[in-house]
Amino acid sequence: MKMIEVKNIRKSFGDLEVLKDVSFDVEQGDVVAILGPSGSGKSTMLRSLIELEKVDRGEIKIEGETLCTNGVYAPKRKKRAILNKMGMVFQHFNLFPHMNIRDNLMCACLCSKQGTKKELEKLAEELLAKVELSDKIDAMPAQLSGGQKQRVAIARALMRKPDIMLFDEPTSALDPELTKEVLNVIKQLSREKMTMLIVTHEIGFAVEAANKIIFLDGGYVAASGTPDEVVNNSGNERIMSFLDKVM
Amino acid sequence: MANLKEWIPLMLQGCGLTVKLFFIVIVLSLPLGLILTFLYTGKSYVIRKIVGFYILIMRGTPLLLQIFFIYFGLPFVPKIGPMLTINDRFTAGCLAYVLNYAAYFAEIFRGGLLSVDKGQYEAAKVLGMTETQTTFKIILPQMIRISLPAVSNEAIILVKDTALITTIGLADLLKVTNNIVNRTTNITAFIVAGCFYLVMSYFLTLAFKHLEKRYAF
Repeated sequence: MKMIEVKNIRKSFGDLEVLKDVSFDVEQGDVVAILGPSGSGKSTMLRSLIELEKVDRGEIKIEGETLCTNGVYAPKRKKRAILNKMGMVFQHFNLFPHMNIRDNLMCACLCSKQGTKKELEKLAEELLAKVELSDKIDAMPAQLSGGQKQRVAIARALMRKPDIMLFDEPTSALDPELTKEVLNVIKQLSREKMTMLIVTHEIGFAVEAANKIIFLDGGYVAASGTPDEVVNNSGNERIMSFLDKVM
Repeated sequence: MANLKEWIPLMLQGCGLTVKLFFIVIVLSLPLGLILTFLYTGKSYVIRKIVGFYILIMRGTPLLLQIFFIYFGLPFVPKIGPMLTINDRFTAGCLAYVLNYAAYFAEIFRGGLLSVDKGQYEAAKVLGMTETQTTFKIILPQMIRISLPAVSNEAIILVKDTALITTIGLADLLKVTNNIVNRTTNITAFIVAGCFYLVMSYFLTLAFKHLEKRYAF
């Protein structure tokens, strides 16, 4: 089943056209790494999927439902239902600093009446156990390390029971040691067949954990395919010079 | 000094009026300031301009002038003057302070609002929270916390600004003190009054320090 279909999307910020013509599909259970040099439109592309950026042209479908066609978005209620299928994790975690970890996890679910307080509390405890932070349930975000914050952010996104997880440079603000603990959680999710899109600079991780790589350059998809196809055999000069610099 | 026992109770009475004025103004101007902030940063261009103009007037003219205008000036407005007249000095004074302080608090809260990280809105959005839920559960608590030190500063200024109400003939701490000094030709009362203001400011500082600690993150 196709989880995401993106066709010819374009996006400009003023005069700057960031996405010029991007198309790709994501199947259920795919782990897609999105690579590319700075300014290639990786983050903008990912953010477009969950409407943090509005695209000007093209079509985005999530699980067969149309989120937008040529700049026209689905009506509010339908749009909300579509967006709720996705969870997102940010580079800077964006935990709510005035709430403890339990409330960070539960706040949005309580607001949308996703379950009773008891059910949600149980779910929060389960997910924190999954990211190995059970002992931090009463801590405040400021008391956690970067890696711990990012694992909490992942647990918080999972609270909404998304079908698709989007990661926008989830380890770029972390040092190598902490990076590993976050990547382990993402690998764990991939074993559970979660559909994921990950914007990352961790080429090694992309090759190891992803089954598909999309290489963006200058607002276009320069290459896409399995890690092997893209990294080892693409023959694309731009990709080779990029990989030379980062590997 | 011999009459200390006689005039301390009078000064305490004056203190009572000062404290009453302070609390009424704080309790009314903080929420009003909050509302102004949201109007000022809201979607309507016309309302933003109106609130901006209001803040310009309130911050750009002396509080003393505003007090005079509301108490002495309004009755002389052509035609509708009688309808605008506020006969009670205390009410007129309170109104001037509330209108003035709300403008300052609005700007303080706006500063707090600008300091809340953009990522907070994005996180709330991708978690499926509505705009109203985001405002009340995520943004407002952080904005108020960020604004606390500046609000504290403004509240301490208000303690001392209450003395301006003397000018429309109310028996606040300063007025009472001034009367005593005139009568006794002895300046001790001024020093005692200074101590009273100092003690009020001190306890207010403590209270805000406590709040800052309580809501630290």
